[in-house]
Amino acid sequence: MTSPQLEVRNLRKSYDDGRIEALRGVSLTIDSGEYIAISGASGSGKSTLLQLLGGLDVPTSGEVLFENAALGSIINLDEYRAHRVGFIFQAFYLLPTLRAIENVQVPMLAFNGNANHRAERAKALLQELGLEHRLYQYPNELSAGERQRVAIARALANKPSILLADEPTGNLDSVNSARIMEILTGIQKTHGMTLIIVTHENDIAHAAPRHIRIRDGRIEA
Amino acid sequence: MLFRRRCSRRAPAALSLYPGPSVDTGRAAQFTGVQPNAPNLRTYAGIMVHQLSFAGFACKNLLRRRLRTLLTLCGIGMAIGAFVALVGFSRSFEHEWERLYSSSGTDIAVVDKNFMNTSVNESLTPKLRAVPVVAQAEPMIFNIMDITPEVNALIFGWNDDSYELESLTFSSGGRFHNGKPEIILGEMLARNLNKKVGDTIELQGSKFAITGIYHGGTALEAGAVIMSIDQLQILSSLQGKVSGFHVRLRPAPPGESAERYLKRAQAQIEAALPGLNAQAAADRASNNQFVSLAHAVAWGTSCIALLMGVLGIANTMAMSVFERTREIGILRAIGWKTWRVLLLIQVEAAVLGFAGGILGLGFGFGALHLLANLPQTASVVSTSLSWLHLVQALSISVLSGLIAGAYPAWRGAHLSPVEALRHD
Repeated sequence: MTSPQLEVRNLRKSYDDGRIEALRGVSLTIDSGEYIAISGASGSGKSTLLQLLGGLDVPTSGEVLFENAALGSIINLDEYRAHRVGFIFQAFYLLPTLRAIENVQVPMLAFNGNANHRAERAKALLQELGLEHRLYQYPNELSAGERQRVAIARALANKPSILLADEPTGNLDSVNSARIMEILTGIQKTHGMTLIIVTHENDIAHAAPRHIRIRDGRIEA
Repeated sequence: MLFRRRCSRRAPAALSLYPGPSVDTGRAAQFTGVQPNAPNLRTYAGIMVHQLSFAGFACKNLLRRRLRTLLTLCGIGMAIGAFVALVGFSRSFEHEWERLYSSSGTDIAVVDKNFMNTSVNESLTPKLRAVPVVAQAEPMIFNIMDITPEVNALIFGWNDDSYELESLTFSSGGRFHNGKPEIILGEMLARNLNKKVGDTIELQGSKFAITGIYHGGTALEAGAVIMSIDQLQILSSLQGKVSGFHVRLRPAPPGESAERYLKRAQAQIEAALPGLNAQAAADRASNNQFVSLAHAVAWGTSCIALLMGVLGIANTMAMSVFERTREIGILRAIGWKTWRVLLLIQVEAAVLGFAGGILGLGFGFGALHLLANLPQTASVVSTSLSWLHLVQALSISVLSGLIAGAYPAWRGAHLSPVEALRHD
């Protein structure tokens, strides 16, 4: 039996000196290459869970293990975010002063590497996502769907093994939402990556092979 | 179920992750006005792949608020300009003093403890000349005088047969004579005063005939007035008193080093003239009260200007970090380490400092040129700037940037990624 890629043990996260409990003892395991959708009402704690899985935040108690090593203690969170996970956000969060191809290179600037290699990889990723004609556009010159594709390329830049998407279709119309989801599931299948999507859209949640519902900071049975 | 149908209908391509042509490309083209396959864009894309360097990223961040960056550059530029001009002025002043001594061949200056005092007895001249190591010793007076309400100048009192006159070349006329109300003017001063040989000039209510216009080896001499000691003593009501003596030494005996000989000569002179200081000319040039005062004023004023420049950069960097809180959160979210974010912000601050420094060198050089051409300051300023001074100015500028950027960088680098991403 292989060990899970991610293991969450009794995870709790509270804010405002404990007055707000976002997560109340969440435990789950995620295998490598899984495609999971996490859904729940607004404020249920699904985004908090994703942030903790991605090492963006630290839990109040409990732990997240990546390949049996605890995040934050054994595994450095910066290293984890740089090498192991790629983030996709609802609001894209592209850097407005950089062209599409430059935005994709930003994660690779986290290490000292070959500039030409960085640029070639960014170009290849954008081409792979059908943006070969938009390489040199700034974010405000791209449509919402194109911006999200640039954000996906950026998330893939450092070849992560886990892709975390927080409401990736939240700012898109239905047609573009479907296309973005096709891209994400395509990446998950072709690259064997773990894909964890937080969504409040039932269509997307139900399309995932594994669906986790969060309610009031707990996983629903 | 729309999504499920689409997923099942279109399997991911083996080579391309993108399932098909974008439906929003046309919309974006409408928005940007750039057609996706426009020849210029395709050509641009075909020539090279655009590389993003760390420094390039920092520069792009600075260029997003061009006006603010420009104003900050002007601020640090003015500060560095003030440093270049003021410290350049004081160094040029010191340099001119050194040349003043070296051009006349003076080895030692014998002065009272207070340089500005004309309090040394001229009657000590024979005693000094009798010291074995002394080849020539000349009494001299040095002062500063208002020539006109706008122009003040250095004024030297020498004997008409002083060896110091040998280093001057007369462009017209000749030497003054002891006991007569005669003066000679440096070329630059004569030009500023529009005077020529044969004209008279009124100093402190007394009229003096101009007997010669000379070309001096230094800016101090070129902007000076020289007259006989006795006339200057009358003018300043200090009969029998001089500022000190300038001494030429006999050649050093074989086998004795110049440095050792100089020290021995100083000791002999001080022994012969108790209460007076015999100082090496080079030391006298750099340590006299005028030069020390000029250095102190230059550095003091520059420090105040630099402080203003540092505050300007600090304000710009703090604003920039605050405005980019979410972007810093993005960088942290995608794996940038704390120190790399810190480095990015510090590189931005250093680039501001460096660019401001370059601008400041231009300002400073311009200011020095202006000072060198103003009648009031032309006598003590030359426009030459040493490489050391330029490197020093740029280093101070970059260092100022780093100091100013330190806190904003620390603050930005230590933002929690989640908190930063929530920032509006």
